[in-house]
Amino acid sequence: MSKTGKVFLTLALLAGFGAALFFALRGQKVAVAELAIASATELTGVVSLDVEPFFKDERVRKILAENRLPVNVTRLGSREMAAKVVPGQMPDFLFPSGVVAGNQISDAARKAGISVVQSSPFHTPLVIASWTPIANILVANGMAKPLGERIYGVDMAQLTAAMLAKKRWKDLKGSQAYDVGRSVLVSTTDVRRSNSAAMYLALTSYAVNGDVVTDRATAVPLATKLAELFKRQGYQENYVNGNFDDYVAIGIGKTPMSFIYEYQLVSYALEKKGVGADMVLLYPQPTIVNKFVLITASERAKALADLLVRNADLQRIAVSYGLRVADTGLFMQAVKPTGLAVEERITQVIDPPSFELMAEMIEVVAKEMAQ
Amino acid sequence: MSWGSRGVRVTMAVLLALAVSACGKKEVEAPPVPEAPVFSVLATTDLRDAQALEGMVEKATGVKLRFTYGGTMESTEAVLSGSTQAHAAWFANAKYLLSDPYGQSRVKLQEKIMLSPITVGVSATTAKRLGWDDPAVAAKVSWKEITKAASEGKLNYALSNPATSNQGFMALMGVVAAASNKAEALSAADVDRGAIAGFLKGYKLAGDNSTYLSEKFIEQQGTQPGQVNSFINYESWLLSLNNGGKLREKLVLVYPHEGVSTADYPFMLLKDDRRDDYLKVSTYLKTPEAQTWIARQTLRRPINGEVAASVGDLFPKEGMRVELPFSPDRQLADGLIDAYLNEFRRPIASTFVLDTSGSMEGQGRRQQLVQALHYVAGADSTLTGRLAKLTNREKVWMLPFSDQPWRMTYFELPAGHPQARGVQVQEDSQAKQAVLAEVRTYADGLRMTGGTALYDSVLVALQHMLEQKAKNPNYQYSVVAFTDGENTKGRGLQQFQQAYAALPEDVRGIPVFMVLFGEAKEADLKALVATTGGKVFDARKTPLYAVFKDIRAYQ
Repeated sequence: MSKTGKVFLTLALLAGFGAALFFALRGQKVAVAELAIASATELTGVVSLDVEPFFKDERVRKILAENRLPVNVTRLGSREMAAKVVPGQMPDFLFPSGVVAGNQISDAARKAGISVVQSSPFHTPLVIASWTPIANILVANGMAKPLGERIYGVDMAQLTAAMLAKKRWKDLKGSQAYDVGRSVLVSTTDVRRSNSAAMYLALTSYAVNGDVVTDRATAVPLATKLAELFKRQGYQENYVNGNFDDYVAIGIGKTPMSFIYEYQLVSYALEKKGVGADMVLLYPQPTIVNKFVLITASERAKALADLLVRNADLQRIAVSYGLRVADTGLFMQAVKPTGLAVEERITQVIDPPSFELMAEMIEVVAKEMAQ
Repeated sequence: MSWGSRGVRVTMAVLLALAVSACGKKEVEAPPVPEAPVFSVLATTDLRDAQALEGMVEKATGVKLRFTYGGTMESTEAVLSGSTQAHAAWFANAKYLLSDPYGQSRVKLQEKIMLSPITVGVSATTAKRLGWDDPAVAAKVSWKEITKAASEGKLNYALSNPATSNQGFMALMGVVAAASNKAEALSAADVDRGAIAGFLKGYKLAGDNSTYLSEKFIEQQGTQPGQVNSFINYESWLLSLNNGGKLREKLVLVYPHEGVSTADYPFMLLKDDRRDDYLKVSTYLKTPEAQTWIARQTLRRPINGEVAASVGDLFPKEGMRVELPFSPDRQLADGLIDAYLNEFRRPIASTFVLDTSGSMEGQGRRQQLVQALHYVAGADSTLTGRLAKLTNREKVWMLPFSDQPWRMTYFELPAGHPQARGVQVQEDSQAKQAVLAEVRTYADGLRMTGGTALYDSVLVALQHMLEQKAKNPNYQYSVVAFTDGENTKGRGLQQFQQAYAALPEDVRGIPVFMVLFGEAKEADLKALVATTGGKVFDARKTPLYAVFKDIRAYQ
């Protein structure tokens, strides 16, 4: 070892002893607390892809550990979670995306005689990511109206009618900026495997029906009719971020309108510290607010649910992933610097049909698409 | 670590690389660090220009990435059937794979890495003649105008085989979409056969991979009537040609209006037990370092928006590229490929030169030859089988030889009966089945005896093809020789070359493909194809499918 190396080693050793002495003198209280944190048993959780990064975030892990509620999460598709409801093997909590999956799980728990509690600490509305020229065309044709600067509300009944009438962009009034022969269609992910696409089916079914679909007699023919909105898209990306990736990477030429969760574009904007100048959000009217439903099956998991809504730091971190929390001000404050315009209060919110009906409608669409 | 030791390592690496390149292929395949498991990636052939990523990935992540290459269609089939052992796949376009439920189940994770739209590169003079040098005009050029120019003989293009490659197939889809006037998802019934036939009139330079086509395009680019004046390929390859300084004229890039098909290069995990390696590699490929390299070296557009903005000056500002919707309809894809092979493509006429010398009797070589003929005249209806098989309208002369060329036997496959509209996979007609059976019977009857007059026989075959070409220029002529050994009778290589030089100029368009069995003297055969154009295939190392797929692509 060189002479310099020896000197460094000596200094390092001295510093180490000094620090040990310092902490020893600070008293035993800290040490006891740390020991307790380390010994708290991890809560087991099964979570959807959307909230997985939140639980893997170091800041979150630290706060949860400090509160003696460390977690160990595994990711699973929301619709597959109900299968995890097994007496004796039930995780402490499940955190699916959407009330449809949430109710399905609670239902399974009730049937299995497991007592669970639902809460919803985070939510995000379903929106259409689009482009200023597209928004202007929709406005010119009475399918959208400005809600504020660079924010638009979309009349879902009008838009759905235009799509079902097979309108092409170049047929619309004032379409010079996008005078292409492609049909007016919203891109979605694959309805057979993605929750956001299922919510699109729910919204368009409301738009045509004029109300939430509540019976099979309405659901089946309606889904048969709406299947074309998926089929006519041609190839659909079948992973969860597929249509959003195309929206940001390929752009207006491929994806004039992309049906996404608001948090996808918000977290993109927060990460990139801005968005493309033409990127705008269209808020469907009515829309569905996707709730992330925390289903807890133990006392400590209930304490976790409390902490998620009570702890301001955890709320801020959730917002940094683009999610909305009870305090909308927190969300607006975080998004403002990115320049992405978001609607502060989501009005005209509907519920999706029951999970049995949803499942049946998805099956009808899947069958139509396979033909 | 000191700079000194690193310098030594770099020098060693350079020396090793030199030694390896000097010694040939074997050393390259020997793994230098045997304990690091290879992470093998099945990549489409257009990714050959990104091979340097192997070293970059290994250095940055420690994962020993190795590419193997294949055409889009065969690679898709390899993943679908599970026949590939690769841990991951990287395709220009995986939509064929991912629109199949079975394909979806094969792919565990996927991540798009970069983008390159398929564009039409038109030689500057030709672009001017067509008025496409004006950006305002070029912006409105659709596959309809491209089809019209091709059918009128104004646009003669190079294109990768539509039956095996994404570029070729998507170009056909662009034509179909533009002609159908449909706004979305096409089906097999929408195919306008006249438009395809018109478009294919301009198909002058065929091949099955971009490396080969780029070389040939540089050689053959011209502006006289009948000469190749355009190249339909990924933007990345066309930009590279423009920057390479070897073209006679630069290419004007035309992005078909409402008909752009963008390759998005999804990197896909196939083997779940290599998830960690996959994540390391995919994460690295999306870093600014790798994305910048991809943009600068391969001229593909980075998927990372910030990097894309920083290298924007590398790419044309062509305005809005409106994407051609991809139809996941398998009947359309299969029907279009089938129709291309059996109806639309320029039909094939070839002379099969068959070595029936006594040495073919040994070591199962006769068996191999018979098997090869059975394969091309077989009933394999998979995609790969259909590619290799004799197609409708094809003409084959069998020329057996030993001490000298013997008598030729002629077979002609009948044309099909296409429907008026749309496309669908045609079952083999009874007449076609009968001819295929005759070919198989012929193969079974071959008897082996005597010496090997290989060059004399190839010469006779070439002369025969020349005569036929003069009578009927609308066929694609070639010679396919099957042999096991060196020439023992008649002309030698030099005499062959002299005789070849004396043949009429037209012979240059007739390539010779050599399929080797046994101990053939490969160097001489390579010298022969260097003279005539064509390729040598080693049937001992290459599966018959691969041999014939290649031959088909160049025919």
